[in-house]
Amino acid sequence: MFVGRSTGRLGGLNNSESGGVADAKNLRVKLVLLGDSGVGKSCIVLRFVRGQFDPTSKVTIGASFLSQTIALQDSTTVKFEIWDTAGQERYAALAPLYYRGAAVAVIVYDITSPETFNKAQYWVKELQKHGSADIVMALVGNKADLNEKREVPTQDGIDYAEKNGMFFIETSAKTADNINQLFELFEGEEQSVRQKLLTHWLSSKLGSCRGKVVKEHFIAPFHWRT
Amino acid sequence: MSSSDSSSSSSVDDPNPNPKPLDNQFESLNLEQESESTIIQNDDGEGQQDQESSLNGSLNVNRNNHEQDDRIDGGHVTSVLWRRTNSEVEVDGPSSPSSSGYAGERGSSGASEDDEIHEVANHGVIDGVFDSQAAWLPGKRHVDEDDASISWRKRKKHFFILSHSGKPIYSRYGDEHKLAGFSATLQAIISFVENGYMDELGDRIKLVRAGKHQVVFLVKGPIYLVCISCTEEPYESLRGQLELIYGQMILILTKAVNRCFEKNPKFDMTPLLGGTDVVFSSLIHSFSWNPATFLHAYTCLPLAYGTRQAAGAILQDVADSGVLFAILMCKHKVVSLVGAQKASLHPDDMLLLSNFIMSSESFRTSESFSPICLPRYNPVAFLYAYVHYLDVDTYLMLLTTSSDAFYHLKDCRIRIETVLLKSNVLSEVQRSMLDGGMHVEDLPGDLLPRSGSASHLGQHQQPTDSPGRFREPFVGIGGPAGLWHFIYRSIYLDQYVSSEFSAPINSPRQQKRLYRAYQKLYASMHDKGNGPHKTQFRRDENYVLLCWVTPDFELYTAFDPLADKGLAIKTCNRVCQWVKDVENEIFLLGASPFSW
Repeated sequence: MFVGRSTGRLGGLNNSESGGVADAKNLRVKLVLLGDSGVGKSCIVLRFVRGQFDPTSKVTIGASFLSQTIALQDSTTVKFEIWDTAGQERYAALAPLYYRGAAVAVIVYDITSPETFNKAQYWVKELQKHGSADIVMALVGNKADLNEKREVPTQDGIDYAEKNGMFFIETSAKTADNINQLFELFEGEEQSVRQKLLTHWLSSKLGSCRGKVVKEHFIAPFHWRT
Repeated sequence: MSSSDSSSSSSVDDPNPNPKPLDNQFESLNLEQESESTIIQNDDGEGQQDQESSLNGSLNVNRNNHEQDDRIDGGHVTSVLWRRTNSEVEVDGPSSPSSSGYAGERGSSGASEDDEIHEVANHGVIDGVFDSQAAWLPGKRHVDEDDASISWRKRKKHFFILSHSGKPIYSRYGDEHKLAGFSATLQAIISFVENGYMDELGDRIKLVRAGKHQVVFLVKGPIYLVCISCTEEPYESLRGQLELIYGQMILILTKAVNRCFEKNPKFDMTPLLGGTDVVFSSLIHSFSWNPATFLHAYTCLPLAYGTRQAAGAILQDVADSGVLFAILMCKHKVVSLVGAQKASLHPDDMLLLSNFIMSSESFRTSESFSPICLPRYNPVAFLYAYVHYLDVDTYLMLLTTSSDAFYHLKDCRIRIETVLLKSNVLSEVQRSMLDGGMHVEDLPGDLLPRSGSASHLGQHQQPTDSPGRFREPFVGIGGPAGLWHFIYRSIYLDQYVSSEFSAPINSPRQQKRLYRAYQKLYASMHDKGNGPHKTQFRRDENYVLLCWVTPDFELYTAFDPLADKGLAIKTCNRVCQWVKDVENEIFLLGASPFSW
């Protein structure tokens, strides 16, 4: 029914199923957030896109679509098309609908809940099997402010991310102080085009959040391995 | 409204060409039975009732079939009683409070006081809030309770969903997991009857009456639904509510969930419904404020004909490009909707869909693309819904069968939004929300020439004499002849229009009481066991209720309890005429997808 209009465009980019570049100056990147329900995917994305944090829990239905365009220093723009998926079990079978053709996948777990870490590993495997071959994945341990209730050691996240060639970050307001140094370190590295985009985007968003969020969990140390 | 092509042979059925027939019907009875039974039955209605059912979808037919099945205990008797005991002279003592539909309302015990507070909190404490949804707090409450809690036991209306193995799936109050034992008991009752307690196979338990409590059962394959209520609502109404709850579950999961039980009878369904408590509690709340839940019809936001046409035209545009249904709604009211060829949308599906959208906060945050199932359209398949809020109350739903259609639907939405903004539809919608619809105070006089229908709706002035109304609640207030409220349901259009609430039906509780009274009227008017009724006049301490059912429409009216019967009847005719005069604005006419 919608052939031609949608199939091509559901891909991560205008003309590439998995890519990062549409034209030289205007890049379009499809990003999908996956993870168990209640880990804070929507909070992360709303913080990224709108700089807002809403502590009331709003269960996502199906998937929400948000986009965010950022300008890089060299005057290119990157438009992120973000699919914030519902974590509920009943939507798991529909996930390919949202991650198909995604250039970047952000997989989120809650550091106080080992089940959500297991679920995150499930999503990593699922993406390795069925996602784009060159998808860039980031593992995010959310709610790091609840450190006293932590049940997933940071090292476990780092190890798993390293093994699977993913970025790793733990997000929480309490350790926001480290963000700048980490990003500086991060930006100094040699990156592939897409990783650079991701880095730019994450750093700009994370950096801009710093200081705004005091009470609520968000943002923090940023480790990555490739 | 297509009242003119009434196929009934009886001339009294069509009020619109000649608003007198209702008077005629009552005339003889007024003479003979001045203060006796005032129930008027017209026995020639049997065939018409059938015809109506077929026009009105399958719901009434199904219900009536079910009703003829066995029931445990005398639920049947109760509904009959209600009809037979009411008369102008007889005050039916114990059941009188029940006309409010609310047994605990008089606050008889300390514990029910707790309920009192709870109910008030539910429905808003501000008198005169017309929109009784406004103060309702979404989400499930009292999760700490279980069947051992006294407070839990005192709740007036419980709803449960459980599996055929007795596993709890949903409970209105309390934590499902703590209610496992209680669920198992319900399951045992159901299977005891099913497994040959009676002679024939296939027996099903439908109703158990225990004191003032009714326990209503509904079995849907491996899913059991139970309502335990002391609200004295009719069995048919409670059963209809269970049907809607089941429909809501199907909307979220489709009937494919049955397969999980085939594979594993002990399957635990609660994780599949994760995060949907709010959807069910919102639906259950709507049973007490939204007449669509028992009328099985939808209502439109009043709009100038041209405005609605403009909205319909752009929706039609996108429907032609492969959208199955395009629906523009403002809260629970339809602004416009179109369907692809041959696709028809059942009012119950619209109710469940809009409840689902409105109760899920995440739809307000950003545009969404979600699988949903329309149980009346196709209970086994998912459709994909693109949902976007155009403003705080107005939302667009584009439904398609294609899971790949997101970007196309997004483009459609952008086109629609642009047109709606350019043609001021959205601002008109906002204005209509503020102005409200039909106010009984504006009911045109009998002999006044009607100068353009717009004047009746569009120029409503807030009544300046309203302060006096609060002081003297039992004199003629509201509309003419003591008219307080009405609901008009068009059979052919599957739509209803309800007048705005005005003094003295101000508080959400009074509104809820009136809806419960209407709901009883509806159930009694559609009870085939006693033959279809054409009119019903009922006077009690709260209201005069006058109901009139024809093949074309149903009219439910509430008057001051001291209202004069003859005047009330005349007023009903005027209401019908008024509705006809403004039908262009209050109904969605023309190319509707409701082609039964």
